Amino acid sequence: METGLLVQMLLGSLLGLSVYLPLRCGQLSLATPGFYAIGGTVAALLSTRVPALGISDATYPLTSVMLEMLLAALLTGVLALGLGRVVLRLRGIYLAIATIALVEILRVVTLNLEFTGGALGIFGIPQPFSGPEGYAALTFVVLAVVCWLCDRLEKTRPGRAMAAIRDDELAAASQGINTADTKLMAFVLSALVAGVTGVVAAHFLNSWNAKLGNFDASITTLAFVVFGGSRTWLGPVFGGLLLTALPELLRPVGDLRLIVFGAVILVGPLFFPQGLITPELFQTLRRRMGRSAAPSPQGGRP
Amino acid sequence: MPPIKPPSLPFTALAVGLVGACGVLVGCQPASRSPSGSPTLTLGAVVALTGNASLIGQDQRVGLELAEAEFGGRAPALTLRLEDGGSDEQTATTAFRRLLQQPVVALVGPSLSQQAFAVDPIADRAGVPVLGASNTAIGIPEIGPFVSRISAPVSRVAPLSIQAAKRLNPKLKRVAVFFAQDDAYSTSETKIFQKSIQGLGLKLVTVQRTSTADIDFQKPIADTLQTKPDLIVISALPNDGGNLVRQLREMGYTGLIAAGNGMNSPNIYSVCQRYCDGLLIAQAYSPETQTAVNRRFVQRYQQQHGDTAPPQFTAQAYAALQVIHEALSRLDRQESLKRLSPNLVSKAQKLQIQPPKGQALVSMPLPDLRRALNTVLLQGTYDTPLGEIRFTPEGEVIQKDFYVARVKMDASGKTGRFALLPNPSPTQP
Amino acid sequence: MEGLLQLLFNGLSVGAVYALFALGYTLVFSVLGVINFAHGAIFTLGAYFTYFLIGGAVGANGLMAGLQLPFSLPFWLALPLAGLGAAAVALVGERIAFRPLRDRGSDPLQALITSLGAGVILVNLIQLLVGAESYSIPVGTLEALPVALSIAGAKVRTVQVLLLVIAGLLLVALSIWIDGSRSGKALQAVSEDPVTAQLLGINSGRMIQIAFGISGFLAGVAGGLVGLSVSIAGPYFGIGYGLKGLGVLVLGGLGSVPGAVLGGLIIGLAEACVPSHLSGYKDAVAFGFLFLMLLIRPQGLLGRPLAEKV
Repeated sequence: METGLLVQMLLGSLLGLSVYLPLRCGQLSLATPGFYAIGGTVAALLSTRVPALGISDATYPLTSVMLEMLLAALLTGVLALGLGRVVLRLRGIYLAIATIALVEILRVVTLNLEFTGGALGIFGIPQPFSGPEGYAALTFVVLAVVCWLCDRLEKTRPGRAMAAIRDDELAAASQGINTADTKLMAFVLSALVAGVTGVVAAHFLNSWNAKLGNFDASITTLAFVVFGGSRTWLGPVFGGLLLTALPELLRPVGDLRLIVFGAVILVGPLFFPQGLITPELFQTLRRRMGRSAAPSPQGGRP
Repeated sequence: MPPIKPPSLPFTALAVGLVGACGVLVGCQPASRSPSGSPTLTLGAVVALTGNASLIGQDQRVGLELAEAEFGGRAPALTLRLEDGGSDEQTATTAFRRLLQQPVVALVGPSLSQQAFAVDPIADRAGVPVLGASNTAIGIPEIGPFVSRISAPVSRVAPLSIQAAKRLNPKLKRVAVFFAQDDAYSTSETKIFQKSIQGLGLKLVTVQRTSTADIDFQKPIADTLQTKPDLIVISALPNDGGNLVRQLREMGYTGLIAAGNGMNSPNIYSVCQRYCDGLLIAQAYSPETQTAVNRRFVQRYQQQHGDTAPPQFTAQAYAALQVIHEALSRLDRQESLKRLSPNLVSKAQKLQIQPPKGQALVSMPLPDLRRALNTVLLQGTYDTPLGEIRFTPEGEVIQKDFYVARVKMDASGKTGRFALLPNPSPTQP
Repeated sequence: MEGLLQLLFNGLSVGAVYALFALGYTLVFSVLGVINFAHGAIFTLGAYFTYFLIGGAVGANGLMAGLQLPFSLPFWLALPLAGLGAAAVALVGERIAFRPLRDRGSDPLQALITSLGAGVILVNLIQLLVGAESYSIPVGTLEALPVALSIAGAKVRTVQVLLLVIAGLLLVALSIWIDGSRSGKALQAVSEDPVTAQLLGINSGRMIQIAFGISGFLAGVAGGLVGLSVSIAGPYFGIGYGLKGLGVLVLGGLGSVPGAVLGGLIIGLAEACVPSHLSGYKDAVAFGFLFLMLLIRPQGLLGRPLAEKV
């Protein structure tokens, strides 16, 4: 397989995880593309407008990319902290639509502002690597860290609190779980992941514009999670990998490419009503294998 | 946790049926052919065949396939590999990377300027020449030494239609401007429009931002008509722009309308219908040009598409493949001669012996071939349906002729033609 | 006064399109509690069906290039027929993308994905068959009417007024059916609680089919009507409204049929109030409005207070 596609698949997994985190405590937030767009814009602006970061170097320093990630994470984190307090009072479809509204407002504002380059966006973003292999490695490391975090989260108290809220918020609150703070934590984590992903994507795509965080992206990333399964972090990882790769793997069918793709996402949930990967699947597998093998963070089949 | 029921028989059947149907259809598609025996070079092309820019890609595909049918069989033989670049950056990126793994000599595409900023650097770093066939935004050739374009930048084409409007109505004073703010081309073009409006001493009475997804323009039109303009200048794509023209007329505007190059497509006829009549359009390609090359191109197009005029995107895509083929054949001659010893060359020339065509290029190492092609490509002068074109050393196109046409709709209001205005465009310095 | 009237006209003109789109969109939500992402594609189909029924020919691209029906119907006959065609497609969609999930007790979110898949198939199928170019219903179709109305100096295109009137008529018809007929009441019962409704002897599956059929019909008619006002902008024609339509639905109150029309008109008016020099921020204003509405009154203008559905 082509390495560039692998990078996009890994980025897809990261976005899937960003949608998954709030969903884990029952919050359907579709703000991910918005934070992704902010992360990308931060990277695009810093790397092209701040000469001290090294735009004129032969290869853009990796430390500068790290710095962009840090700043993007800070900015998206602070924003999410503020916004989360307001929007997380909403539930279900109302939260989903409120977050879509925010993403759309952000898109329109980006389109109208001078410094974000309008419809054309920002281009000529410097490259920290000479080829897609470097990006694959970097994205893989980021994904591994996020997966590890999610895995820790699911096994510790805050993670169990999240699951409890998802099952029954009232019952969780009566058990002494601070539901507001737990939900906010998930929302902020989701924003951080999306922001950092945006930084990598901006360098990888050489350019950044307002279209990259729109409604379509919201729906696509949600599809990663629902298709892959929303009860364990491996679900969105696998969903992101598969659904990003699928339209590309279908290239040999030519003009029918997207029709077949549509058929797959239409038929998939009929065969896997809870998503491709469920905790039950692990249990069955573990029983069969007779020992508990930790799932590989790479997101392949466990 | 409810037990997962196996899917019912009908759905399994449906799934199998869908996949089977696809398989059959794919199987029926013609396999890529290559001229028998002779060595073949591969040209990659990435155009938007899916997504909301597919109207552009659809026109481009027609042009590329026409050109392949015409030039592909002539030495050096050239096969076209067309990939769908979608209407977003990600799809275009994988399409480019996919083609870069093939032994392509050069790439044509992608359809949108935003996509070009994302993917052209990849080809440039790989040392593969990219020829943009529809990218008109400022800054495309500057992406790198291997990036060039055949589509004239907005700054050249746009001002002409305003000059034409001024000639049609010398008392012209008040100008209103509309542009689609989410379209890269239109936002670049409107800047040029506004500058040239002010340069001509006209008064800019209002600037209305629309979006390519808009269909109802009642509000911006009502606001604009209050400013009493006598010229309205539109930078938009065929569909939104066409609807805007129609609604302007329906709301009672009778003055001149000048449209940018984004609306230079026969697709507007079906959108604004009889209200298209009289629209001034700046053109980088006119189907009415009476050169031998263009007449042949139009004729070939009409053999397939009936009595309609080819769109600009089709002509530009055709010209892109033509330019690459001509550059390759020039390179072929150079290389073939280089291989012969000097006295053999003179002998061969005396005896009028031609070395086998295309052989020299096929045996060249691919990176050298690509570099040499890029150099030769930028040096030549080409006689295309767009008129005579050449390139600057950076890869910017220098097109000899631009046109301003006035739309003339037929009596039924269903179709029309871009009638060239008598005054030819002043040749740009 | 003239300015105010013009403002009203501007708002209603855009709002009429949103209201028409949202009518069928909200019906499925009120019954199933899920968003049907294929609705935009059904709307698009309705527009194409109308175009072909009035005798329009396919362009030069796509597998059906150059085809044309051997007859041509008047617009007023073509429109309801196109609605029926769209309803048939919507029913097939329900059978394939929604019912199996219900039968299997799936995560309700899955219906978002299956309907998205159905939409992707429809849009790309349209492109494969008839190409990506735009088609138009001839402007002379409404020959008997003046092109624009002018009242006290304020102007509006007649076709937009017509869209608004038809949206109003459809709303009244739908309300009479829902509140006044047995099947309408049964539909309400199913949307309240499908399990209890089933126990009461209502065939829930049948009612859901009826809701999908009507929703598809409304989408098809809406597509044909909007296609009369503007050109059919290719296979993605209706998809663009999916997003605005969601806003309209929420503003009016999810699942409320009168709310959908009211929401459409209010968003139209809000957009019309954006001053000219800020026209670029028009869409942000509509969504900003929606966002505030959600914070103040999440159930929307005419929605019922609870509704914890996805």
